Amino acid sequence: MQPIVLGVIAGSIYALVAAGVALVYKATRVLNFAQAEVGTLSLYATWWISTRHHQPWVVGAAASIVVATLIGLLFERFIIRSMLTASRVTVSVATIGLFSLMVAVELALFAGTVYLVPPPLARGGVTIAGVYVNASQWLALGVVLAVAAALAAFLRFTDFGLAVQASADDPVAAQLMGAPRARISAFTWGMAGALSAVAVLLIEPTVGVLAPGAFAGLFIGGLTAALVGGLDSLPGAFVGGLVVGVAEAEVKAHVTIHAIPSFQTAAMLIIVLAVLLLRPRGILGQHA
Amino acid sequence: MVRLHNVMTAALLFVALPLLTEHAMPRLVRPHGYLNLDVGIALAVAALSLNLLLGYAGQISLGHAGLLAIGAFASGIVTSRWHGPMALGLVLAMVVSGGLAFLVGLPALRLRGLYLAIVTVVFGLVMQYSVLRSTVFSGGSAGVALPRRVWGGRVFTDNTVYLVVSLLLLLAVWVVDDNVVRSRVGRAFRVIRENEAVAQSFGIAVTRYKLLAFVVSGAMAGLAGAMYGHAIGFVNNESPFNFNLSLQLVIIVIIGGLGRRAAVVVAALVFWVLPSFISGLHAWAYIAGALGLMVTVSRHPDGIADLLRRERPPSFDDDAVEDDSLPALPDLPVPDRPGALTTPAGQPLLEVHEVSVSFGGLRAVDAVSLTVPAGRITGLIGPNGAGKSTLFNAISGLVTTTRGHVRYRGEQIQDLRADQRARLGIARSFQQVGLAKDLSVRENFLLAQHQVAGYGDLAAIAMTPTVARVERELAERADQAIESLGLVHLSGLPVRNLSGGQQRIVEIACLLVTAPELVMLDEPSAGMAPAAAESLAGRLRELRDTLGRTVLIIEHNVPLMLDVCDYLYVLDAGQLIAEGPPEAIAANERVIDAYFGTALPA
Repeated sequence: MQPIVLGVIAGSIYALVAAGVALVYKATRVLNFAQAEVGTLSLYATWWISTRHHQPWVVGAAASIVVATLIGLLFERFIIRSMLTASRVTVSVATIGLFSLMVAVELALFAGTVYLVPPPLARGGVTIAGVYVNASQWLALGVVLAVAAALAAFLRFTDFGLAVQASADDPVAAQLMGAPRARISAFTWGMAGALSAVAVLLIEPTVGVLAPGAFAGLFIGGLTAALVGGLDSLPGAFVGGLVVGVAEAEVKAHVTIHAIPSFQTAAMLIIVLAVLLLRPRGILGQHA
Repeated sequence: MVRLHNVMTAALLFVALPLLTEHAMPRLVRPHGYLNLDVGIALAVAALSLNLLLGYAGQISLGHAGLLAIGAFASGIVTSRWHGPMALGLVLAMVVSGGLAFLVGLPALRLRGLYLAIVTVVFGLVMQYSVLRSTVFSGGSAGVALPRRVWGGRVFTDNTVYLVVSLLLLLAVWVVDDNVVRSRVGRAFRVIRENEAVAQSFGIAVTRYKLLAFVVSGAMAGLAGAMYGHAIGFVNNESPFNFNLSLQLVIIVIIGGLGRRAAVVVAALVFWVLPSFISGLHAWAYIAGALGLMVTVSRHPDGIADLLRRERPPSFDDDAVEDDSLPALPDLPVPDRPGALTTPAGQPLLEVHEVSVSFGGLRAVDAVSLTVPAGRITGLIGPNGAGKSTLFNAISGLVTTTRGHVRYRGEQIQDLRADQRARLGIARSFQQVGLAKDLSVRENFLLAQHQVAGYGDLAAIAMTPTVARVERELAERADQAIESLGLVHLSGLPVRNLSGGQQRIVEIACLLVTAPELVMLDEPSAGMAPAAAESLAGRLRELRDTLGRTVLIIEHNVPLMLDVCDYLYVLDAGQLIAEGPPEAIAANERVIDAYFGTALPA
């Protein structure tokens, strides 16, 4: 039971990264390689406010989300917007540039020291079905559910959300129908940044430290989840996250191979290769 | 084989660099700075390996560091655990990394898109965080030593000697790269980067060549990793082969000019060797590189290929290109190719039986049957959106048919890939001109002869005398074709810079250069000046009568079609609404309604 519970919690956080990837991919056909790293760099804002200046975690978390959203918006304003007619592969290469920039800044400013961030909630775990789930993990589950519900409601029930969807299906037709292309693009990338920050904030208590490369597992899990669920499907991102999270936890609990340490990570590569061989469009995706 | 100017450049390097190093510039060799010249050269080889994949074939790998690491550990195991010579270690490094690239690349490269990038991200990170921490492969934190073993107990430690060895290896990689570029392999890579459908129509097996690019690139990366390891003498699980190295390689290749070998090598040396002189510069070089990458790609919105043209401004004479009054479609040369024509005139060459093609819920082609007899001109007409081009795609293999079958020379071909169909002698043109538009006219004629260049891809990489001879023959034929088209003055220009009519002529001539039996033309007059379009009829008849070819043609120019076709099919909304000889079609009221609008009462 323990692996499943832990897997669901980790997987729901992977789902946030996958949802960011899917949102951008659905709206713009661009694969955003920076989806986990924008939040990682932004987490230093939480450290600065909550650890260095002893403010409550919530304040630091909010700062991190603001910073990540700003990074997304700036990237959209200065890079994406000048690439309207570029091939989607080229734009995806630009996100590799953003990814590199995040890592490079972390290395230049923060390498060599381990930074610690206080946990969101210090006390208050509950044992269910013999598995102890601590307060931070409950928070993670709650936040992911709330984000998923809000995202779904927003895309389905608001005019702007519908415009985003329409733009994803046929950008030219949507623009002719009056969908505000620039605002949709800005929204997509800003939202991707915010989702990235939330995912990193939620996984941080499990990882325990803040350092360059500390959240590589989130990147691997999130990208794999996006592929498993279908790169262009938001519901798929959540399904994929759960599948990947549970699979990882089960492998970790039951499979030990002496020659390959942390085999659960290596299992991600096997999952990715299997998806590409058997069902490249993922569980809920529309296109291969 | 090696080109002379490469040898001369290399000779200069070999004389100059060793003199400069150990004695004159001690900082460039151990034990001073962290990054030294031999390490820089290893990383330059790594950059060249990614350049082959990303710069030529347009495929992104974000896990190259993993391939480098495997190479380093493979060579370490050979030289320190098995006490084998370094040469064997280097070979094994290439074999293991190339093999791993094959396994990782195969599932991803069957598909179109960014799947290789996704797989290699996960591969690189899995290597870094899991496999390479294994005590079995890397010796864990204890690591693996990489002695520069010559044979048995003989080990050389002189860094100047190793620098020369490194330069020799760089030269070898450079030569392989050069051979790739000058052969059909490199041309296949470049057309795949630009347009996979066009590549297939030239008979290029796209998956196979993408995989070849990744395997060759992987082998080079393995070599680079081993070179790195032998330069330092030791690698462990804290090796420099981490994800940042993969990202930095992408940065170097793109900023260095994507596909430009010399610039990539220089960029690699500048990026990795220069900062070792100034402490703290590494981190800032990385930031500058990341910003540089974003700015570079965002300022060249036409795609990666556009970067290639950035320092090649169109230095041509505008008058030479703007040639609207192209008087006639010039002679289109068709070489003799024994066995090219198999079907006697009048017998069915192509039979399409009840073929349907659906996209989602939309049935673009609905149970269409048609027969194309050999040695005839068969026309396909219909309003926009009737499904004509989709039917062409179904025949040439670019879309899969949902129902029905296609026979060519009496054999079912609907399970064959597009490139296999092209090699059977089915040539097709595209509405948007099916050429590699970033390549020159001459390169396109070489590319078009891909399927008749009968040499192996490994022979091409070694540039054996046979390959060199075949390449000369291809070049001769290309030059003849260009000359007979009267386009000699344009032969070095990218096709993109030609006028619409000129592009079309080059496209059709490229189709014919392999002497196909069936020639499928999708709106050949689109983009042509009216005068040129008029001469099309004559050329089509010549194709049929003089050259014995079979033609299937889509055209909107109905008078031309009625004039030149032996038999016509009319398609509307995915369905066949009429067929018959031109006179019958011209009189058919259903056709007139569907195609021209309802006739006015007289």
